[in-house]
Amino acid sequence: MTSTTITSTLDKLHAILRRDLLTAVRHRSGFVMTLVGVFTELAAFYFLSRAIGPGFRPGGVEYFPFLLVGTGVYTFFVMSAQAFLSSVQEAQQTGTLEVLMTTSTAPAELVILSSISAFAGNLVNLLVYLFAGVAVFRASIHANFLSCLAVLVFSLAIALALGIAAATLQVAFQKGSALLWLLGSGLWFLSGTMFPVQSLPRPLELLARAVPLTYAIDGMRNALLEGQSIRQMAPTLAALAGFGLFLLPLALAGLSLSLRRARRDGTLSFY
Amino acid sequence: MDRIVFESVRKIFRHRPALFNWLGKERGGETIALKDVSFSASRAEVLVLLGPNGSGKTTILKLISTMLLPDAGSVRVGGFDTQRDAGEVRTQVGIAVASERSFFPRLSARENLEFFASLDEVSRSERAQRIEKVLADTGLEEQANTLVMKFSSGMYQRLGIARALVKRPGVLLLDEPTRSLDAATTAHFWTTIRALAQQQTTVLLATHNFAEAVAVANRLLLMHRGELLTDRHVSDGESADALRSFYFRMTGEIDEALDAIHRAGAAP
Repeated sequence: MTSTTITSTLDKLHAILRRDLLTAVRHRSGFVMTLVGVFTELAAFYFLSRAIGPGFRPGGVEYFPFLLVGTGVYTFFVMSAQAFLSSVQEAQQTGTLEVLMTTSTAPAELVILSSISAFAGNLVNLLVYLFAGVAVFRASIHANFLSCLAVLVFSLAIALALGIAAATLQVAFQKGSALLWLLGSGLWFLSGTMFPVQSLPRPLELLARAVPLTYAIDGMRNALLEGQSIRQMAPTLAALAGFGLFLLPLALAGLSLSLRRARRDGTLSFY
Repeated sequence: MDRIVFESVRKIFRHRPALFNWLGKERGGETIALKDVSFSASRAEVLVLLGPNGSGKTTILKLISTMLLPDAGSVRVGGFDTQRDAGEVRTQVGIAVASERSFFPRLSARENLEFFASLDEVSRSERAQRIEKVLADTGLEEQANTLVMKFSSGMYQRLGIARALVKRPGVLLLDEPTRSLDAATTAHFWTTIRALAQQQTTVLLATHNFAEAVAVANRLLLMHRGELLTDRHVSDGESADALRSFYFRMTGEIDEALDAIHRAGAAP
């Protein structure tokens, strides 16, 4: 990759981030509603953990921090994919998608940069969520920030693949939201968001072990709540890297095929 | 060398009915949008695509821009095939689509242009100057910092033209560019098109407007039901009325309309 290509890619990423940031801040009520939503959800989890009592310590940690990390990471995944999918749907509805596909930027590059933007916004939300959990609701954490960063980086590849897969279904069948619905219900149940996957019956636990999100949530809990080092977390990080290396190229290939099919069928702007 | 080469291009749109089609009346089948259309265009030429709705004008523009792929035949731009070298083609082509709202509504006109200029790899050093120029050319200077969600149809249309121009494309594709423009803006736009052609830009413009066709065209491609009926030069001083007569003679549109009226009149 030449320095000109890198400069050009960074310039495009800057343009996409700026577009999304300006659009977000000009939806003034959006910020307020997100903040109210964050605090309401945290309050609900805080009182739920109090109602259950201090005796319930999944994985040896208090229940509120367990919930805080589980729901935070889960929401980051789902909302990021949702944000990305919404931007594709909106582009189809307004006709922007067709025009974007005629710019000098390759479709795959455009999709990856757009999804990075969607994830960046939700990363801020995740940080606000975790910070509020610790600062306002006194969740106890023992963070190893390097390990947290490693989990986040490896998880991002999986999350990108998820967003791209939803966009692929949207372009191909106008049904990207179906995948997210499946994720929102099925994976929430299987990924250990609210309770440890060890509580599931053995066949379901095995199924949960095949879900990448399980490793992302588990990894973040170990890094943020127990302060595990990268060496201690090597198996989890390896699993996340393996999922990412497999899923991201697969999702990109699927998107490339669906875009080509849409250009052949003239359905690029169908929604 | 020809800048655009359309060779025996066929385009068919297939309609796949919904899964539970028995619930509704959706029709399957296919529409042949283009039937073995061939033509070429060189630098500094302005080609006007004329034809009734559904004749294939927009399909031609979309095929050149790589929004669509042909089912048979080939489309080449600057020597690059739109299927194999789509990336190379896209660097040369600018398109102003008929869809008015293909912008980001909560960005201003200038912010939208900056965004698209960045994706079109217009260098940072040139970007601001080019944007000022296209805003001036399209008469949008005063609305440059207005959010486009507040724009009228005509302003959207001008912004679409500005977006196509900002990358300074070798091939400019315009789909009914003056449909919502007032007379003064239209006249200024025609001058801009002629100036672009003098700067070696190839322009393809789809329109229903005979005055526009004679004002800007070097060549006329007359489309009807997916077929290229005529590919001829437009002579200096040819009037819009003469072109209108030619158009109706070639397409038989008036005869068809009269037949329909007669049939409706004869119906019980």
